Amino acid sequence: MRNGLWSPVGLRRLRVMTHKELLQLFRDAALMVFFLYSFTGDIYLAASGVSMQLKHAAIATLDGDRSFASRELAGRFQPPYFKPVGDAGSPGQAIRLLDDGDVMAVLDIPPRFNERLQRGEQVSVQMQVDTSNSVLGFLTSSYGAQIVGRYGLEVAALREGMSGAGAGPRVEADVRVWYNPNQNDAWFMGISELLTVITLFSILLPAAAMVREKERGTIEQLMVTPLSPFQILFPKVVAMTLVILAGSAIALFGVLGPLFQLPMRGSLVTFFLVTALYVFTTAGLGLLAATVARNLAQVGMLTVVILMPMLLLSGAWTPIEAMPPWMRGLAWISPLHYFLDAAYGILLKGAGLELLWDSVLAMTALGILVFGIGMRRFARQSG
Amino acid sequence: MNRQRIVALAWKEWREIIRDRLFFALAFVVPTMLMLLFGYGLTLDVENLPFAVVDYDRSAASRDYAYRFISSRYFAFQGYADDERAVDGLLAGNQVRMVLVIPPRFDERLTRGEAAPVQVLIDGTFPERTQTSMGYVAAINSAVSLDRMAQALSRVRGIPLAEARGRVQPVRLEVRYLYNQSVQSIWSLAPKLIMLIMMLSPPFLTAVGVVREKESGSIFNIYSSTVSPGEFLLGKLAPYVAISIANAMFLWLLATTLFGAPFKGDPLFFAFATVLYVICTTGIGLVISMLVQTQVAAMIVASIVSIIPAVLYSGVLLPLPSLSPAASVLAHALPPMYYTNIVVGCFLKAVSWHALWLEVVVLAAYAVGLFGLGYLLFTKRPAS
Repeated sequence: MRNGLWSPVGLRRLRVMTHKELLQLFRDAALMVFFLYSFTGDIYLAASGVSMQLKHAAIATLDGDRSFASRELAGRFQPPYFKPVGDAGSPGQAIRLLDDGDVMAVLDIPPRFNERLQRGEQVSVQMQVDTSNSVLGFLTSSYGAQIVGRYGLEVAALREGMSGAGAGPRVEADVRVWYNPNQNDAWFMGISELLTVITLFSILLPAAAMVREKERGTIEQLMVTPLSPFQILFPKVVAMTLVILAGSAIALFGVLGPLFQLPMRGSLVTFFLVTALYVFTTAGLGLLAATVARNLAQVGMLTVVILMPMLLLSGAWTPIEAMPPWMRGLAWISPLHYFLDAAYGILLKGAGLELLWDSVLAMTALGILVFGIGMRRFARQSG
Repeated sequence: MNRQRIVALAWKEWREIIRDRLFFALAFVVPTMLMLLFGYGLTLDVENLPFAVVDYDRSAASRDYAYRFISSRYFAFQGYADDERAVDGLLAGNQVRMVLVIPPRFDERLTRGEAAPVQVLIDGTFPERTQTSMGYVAAINSAVSLDRMAQALSRVRGIPLAEARGRVQPVRLEVRYLYNQSVQSIWSLAPKLIMLIMMLSPPFLTAVGVVREKESGSIFNIYSSTVSPGEFLLGKLAPYVAISIANAMFLWLLATTLFGAPFKGDPLFFAFATVLYVICTTGIGLVISMLVQTQVAAMIVASIVSIIPAVLYSGVLLPLPSLSPAASVLAHALPPMYYTNIVVGCFLKAVSWHALWLEVVVLAAYAVGLFGLGYLLFTKRPAS
């Protein structure tokens, strides 16, 4: 095979085509500006501003007792979780505060709270929580329950004389958070955004490069050259992979590392290899979309159809475990699901291939499958 | 402004859209698909958290304690691990997200009326999930502690268990969930999904639709015709606004019927605000289309510009009060947050004009501003 794929001629063809793709990409100035923005500014925004946790939730009190005990209990709702905004005044005023979203919760302490506590009765304290955002609502009530529970235990211990060393049988949890002990949201959000951006570009760029040739008719020119379908498709993917890897490097070493102190615990070589593998796999999906679409507008819409479920089913935004079973099944065919495990594993947990081999293997299998189908469809269409 | 020209342009655009069958179908299919996917899949509840137990005590009490976690629907038991050395691999290899370590003498300590420490190791990769799991752990621990204390007290004092239980828990917290009594994620989520999807889809459609003419060169026909820039923009964008309004109405139907979200507000007010919002997001598409030359760039810019504010700065996934000051400024500078207040208000809180007039004014200002900017950027004599 004089002109075989891996012969000097074949390799030269791949190189020339890759060069052509890169040139075409770099000449779209608006695109390149936004490409850079996506890997820097966009990731900075996602990592810096956003926190998934309950912090400084405004809480108002309705103190019907105005005793030492009620002030003591209300005074325990403190930062970082809560931000006391003082007494609401009247129940009507409290509801208005909640309606307008000025407070997240209202703590309602009944009259004779102190007196009934002293007498050994059980007293109920009410907390009204705005659950328009259900996660936040849950966290608010959970922290509230912990604060009130701890207060109750102290009162009980005093009342029943169980204080001191043997303060009654109880379980004390020593909770240790691994890999991200300070619960730094920037690490999670930053990596998550990086993976999203990588996914977007690795579907859209190769697909668009392909369909643009179709739309303009330049594909016919390529067809009459000695290039095989593989030699036409493969350089597009290689070019995009190179550019996306460069973008990821900028994001890691230019933004996440220096600005957010992201610990890169695992091997970076492994990370970039896995990223390259992922971009290949995902680019296969893009090429598959390109064989279906006739123009760029269609490719754009198809990209959304592929991208959104992938992002959703990967576990980056929401826990897969909590999804309905049929959706959990779909997650197994989303390459991002595997990439996510691998990327967080390498960067935050310091895991190597010995732990992540199953994810990498699954990703490879998916990639070969998708790429194969895309190639077949393209070869048939152009044949 | 010549009405006939606008109508003719809108009609031409409409013909072009429906002749591209795949594009036309996707324009309607994509929002619906996103609604179904997000509605069913985007549960923020943390459930079935995979966890393992290391039990050094192997007593009845420790098994009892572990069983509280095993039987909880929030946790999914993956098995007992022999010792802590295995834990590293389990957590790092993503097989479990939490490990419960029960030290020796757990039973003995509890029986003697002492505090029994346990260790909970949680994978901190996903901070929001970590927080929620810590909440569950705290709830189970306090339930166990109360049980044991009540038992101990009833034994020591010789009083009935029910009374002892009241004594060890002098203050009880009753939580009332407002606006969404059952804390079902889907109720609070479905209305916000309308916001999210209407932020993603119109800019995309519009940007691609306008840039398509630029890239194929057919826009020169417009340049050389008698159509004025204003007429062109109105005629060109009308079909896209119409498609998006139809989509928004269908999403509202899905939210109220399929997902059963309550709609307590004023439908007329909601419809008005929604049309305004759709015009806003179409305007974003318009401005993007004026700035880029190729469809690829239009798609990338539209997705990056719209996904980030819609998902991160609107209050869908992330609590707005927990944004940093800089991010909070950004959230207030973008339309999604205002429309989120409107949908949440209309669906869950039954508030209308008096509480939301400011939001409507902001959206209107946005719509005018974006279209004004688009008008200024569009010139029939491209710089040569």
